Amino acid sequence: MTQTSNSPGGSQPSSSQPYDAVIVGSGAGGGMAAYVLTHAGARCLLLEAGDWYDTARQSHMLEWPYQAPHRGEGGGTSSWGYFDACVGGWTVKGEPYTQAPGSDFRWWRARMLGGRTNHWGRISLRMGPYDFKPYSRDGKGFDWPISYDDLAPYYDKTEELIGVFGTPEHLENTPDGKFLPSPRPRCYELEIQKAARQLNIPCVPSRLSILTRPLNGRPACHYCAQCGRSCATGSNFSSPTVLIPPAQATGKLEIRTGAMARAVVVGADGRATGVSYIDKATRQERQVKARVIVLAASACETARILLNSKSPLHPDGLGNGNGVVGRYLMDTVGSAVSGHLPQLMGLPPHNDDGVGGMHLYMPWWNYGRQLRNELPFARGYHIEIGGGHGVPGAGVLGGSQRILGGGYGAGLKRGLRQLWGSSISFSGRGEMIPNDNSYCEIDPQVVDEYGIPVLKFHFQWSEDELLQARHMQETFREIIEVAGGTVTSSAGAERNWGISHGGEIIHEVGTVRMGNDRRTSVLNDYCQAWDCRNLFVTDGGPFCSNADKNPTLSIMALAWRTSEHIATLMQRREL
Amino acid sequence: MERRDVLKVLGTAPAAAFLPAAALTAPAAAQAAPATAATPAGPYQPRALDAHEYRLLTVISDLILPADERTGSATDCGVPACVDDFLTIRGELLLDQIRGGFLWLDSETRRQHGVDFANATKAQQTALMDRIAWPGRAALADQNAAAFFNHLRDLVVNAFYSSKMGVKDLQYEGNTMVMHWVGCPATVLTKLDTSYAAAQWRLPFPRTGA
Repeated sequence: MTQTSNSPGGSQPSSSQPYDAVIVGSGAGGGMAAYVLTHAGARCLLLEAGDWYDTARQSHMLEWPYQAPHRGEGGGTSSWGYFDACVGGWTVKGEPYTQAPGSDFRWWRARMLGGRTNHWGRISLRMGPYDFKPYSRDGKGFDWPISYDDLAPYYDKTEELIGVFGTPEHLENTPDGKFLPSPRPRCYELEIQKAARQLNIPCVPSRLSILTRPLNGRPACHYCAQCGRSCATGSNFSSPTVLIPPAQATGKLEIRTGAMARAVVVGADGRATGVSYIDKATRQERQVKARVIVLAASACETARILLNSKSPLHPDGLGNGNGVVGRYLMDTVGSAVSGHLPQLMGLPPHNDDGVGGMHLYMPWWNYGRQLRNELPFARGYHIEIGGGHGVPGAGVLGGSQRILGGGYGAGLKRGLRQLWGSSISFSGRGEMIPNDNSYCEIDPQVVDEYGIPVLKFHFQWSEDELLQARHMQETFREIIEVAGGTVTSSAGAERNWGISHGGEIIHEVGTVRMGNDRRTSVLNDYCQAWDCRNLFVTDGGPFCSNADKNPTLSIMALAWRTSEHIATLMQRREL
Repeated sequence: MERRDVLKVLGTAPAAAFLPAAALTAPAAAQAAPATAATPAGPYQPRALDAHEYRLLTVISDLILPADERTGSATDCGVPACVDDFLTIRGELLLDQIRGGFLWLDSETRRQHGVDFANATKAQQTALMDRIAWPGRAALADQNAAAFFNHLRDLVVNAFYSSKMGVKDLQYEGNTMVMHWVGCPATVLTKLDTSYAAAQWRLPFPRTGA
C-alpha cells in the first residue's frame, strides 16, 4: 500500500512512474540513500517490508518493567522482549530460513520503517586504514577497492549529520571523528579504567551516536539509558528520526510500507527496469519502474533479492555471473565474561543510568604484537563494558548465590541491597575473516508466505576467530582479577571460549562484496553492479572485510559516497 | 500530539513534571499491552503451577523475602503471581526443576513431621530450608535440592525487585529524565578513593604501525 494516510510528512509526491530511484529498505543504508538522493533532486520511492514506525508515539521509553507483560521479559514485537523497539528478530512469522547440515546461523530481520536502526547499540566506530587493506597487512581475507582516505570525508559528513560523541585519542587504526562532547564515565567504569591502566589496555570514552548537545532541531540526551527502546525525543540516531524526515521534507520521497521486495526486474538490454514486490496488505505482486535501483535490504536480504532475480540474461541471479553473490558472509566474533567487584557493593544510592550504552570502551591495542607475529590469531577486537544499576527488570539480581553464598530471609534482603549494582561485564567484538564455508544461497525447496524462495545458510568460524575468543576470555578474566573482583561467568575450551553463533551479534555483511576485479566481486568501487550498471547496493553487503568496528557507521558513510556518485552520474545523464 | 509538541513539553517543563513521551502520545492500542500479572482483576489464577504448588510458592516466597523495616514481604507485592507468570515463559526445564523441588519439600516435611511443607510450622520449614539455601554447605545428598533452591530464590528475587516495591527497596533513582549528567557523584568517588582528575586516561599508544 502507498504510505500517505498515517505518515507525518504531509503531502506526498504523486506516484506517476517511473521514479528516478527505487530504494529497497529504509534502515541505515536505505535511509541514507533516500536522504542523499532526494537532496540531490532525485524523485525516490522507498520500499519497506514492515510497517510505519513513529518513535515519538510508539517508544516504550520510561515505562517500568512492572507495567509490562512478564516484567518486559517476553511479549512485544521483538525477539528481545517487550521493551526492545525492533519489530522482528531471529524468527519472523511467515519468513523462514534454512540451515545447511552443521550450520547454526541466526538471521535477525527487522520489519519496520528504519529497520534495525530503531534498536541498535549506537556504537559508531570508524574503520581505520588497516581495516581497508587487511590482505595486504597479513595475507588473509581481501582488500577493499577503496582506502580509508576515500571514505573519511563521508565519515565526517555522517557524524556531523547524525551526532556522535567521543574524544580524540590519536590511537593506532582507531580514527578520531567529528565528535560531540563525551559524557563523564560512570563510577564502575572508573574502576574498570583503573584496572585497564594497570594492564596497559587503553580504556577511553566510547563513541556513540547519541546527542550530548542539541543538533539540527533534535534535543540532547536525557540519560535514561533506554536507547534500545527507541528514543521518543529523537536524541539518538535512527533512520526514522534523522534521515527520513529531511528526505520527506524535500517533497521528493514517496514511501511504501508493507512492500516485501522479491526481485529486480531486468529488461532485454540487461538494464534493471524496476523492482517486483509483494504488497502484504493485498498479497499481490506489484512492480515499480525506476532509472536506478538501490538495494539496502540488509546484506543477506539483498543477496536473496539478487539471487531470486533470475532472467534469461542472468540465469543464476542478477550480478551473480561469477557466483559471488551470497559468498563471504561475515558476522562479528562475540564472547563475554561477567564479574563482581566488591568495592561497588553498598555504594550510596545514585542514578548511573547515563546514555544507552557504555561511556568508556577499550579499542584493540595489539596491532604491533600481531605485526610481529606475537599473537596466534589475526585481527583484533574491542571491548564493550557493562555494569551499574539500571532499571530493575525481570532478571534483576539473578544468580546472587554466586557472591552471597545463598540464604533467605531478612539477611538475604540486606545482602541483595548491597549486591545490587556490583556486577560488571565485558563483551568482545572481534573481526571475522571471510571464509569459503560461510555463505548463503537460495533453498530450492522452501519459500516464505509470500512465495519468495528463502535463504539457506552455511556458517563456520575459523581458527583465527576461535583463538581470538580465547584471548577475549583470558583478557576479561585478567581485568576482573586486577580490579580485585571475582569472575562469575566465563567460558573455556569446552564451550569454544564462549564464541557467539553466526549472526548472533547481528553484524552480517559481505554477501555482495565490492572489488576492483569483476571476476571476483559483485560490485565495483562505487558499489555499482558489474553486470547491471543502474543497480547499486548501500547496505552491509558490499563489505570486503568486517573489522571489529560495528558496521552501521561505515554502512552510512559508504551509502553516502555511493548515493553521491549515483547523483553525479544522473546529472551527467550517464544513468 | 505532534513531535514538535513533545519537544515543546520536553523543552519547557521542569524535570520533575516529565511524563513518558510515549504515554503522552501513544494511541490506545499501543497502550493496551501492559500488566496482566501486575494488576489482576480478582485473585490470580496460576497457569504454570497447580493450586497446591501455588500455595507452597506463596508460603515459601514470604520466607525467602519477608517484610522488614524498609519494605513489605514477597506476597505484599504480588511475587507468587509474577513467579507463576515467569514460569509460563522460561521454559519447561525450569518448570520441572521448580515442581520437582516443591515435591521434594513436601516429601521431606511429610517424612519428618507428617504434613505438607505449607502446613508445617515455620521452625520446621526453615530447618528444611537451612539444609539447602547455602549450596556450598549443603550435604552431598541435598545437592539437587540446593540447585532447585537457587532457581526458586532467583525467581522470587526477580519478581520482588522488579516490582514497584522492589524498586523502592533498592532506592533506585533512575528511569527518569536527567537534564545534566554529572557522572559519578562526589560521595561515591570518595568511597572509591578516586577522582575524575586521577582517572584521566593518557597513554602514548602509537598511531601508526609498531
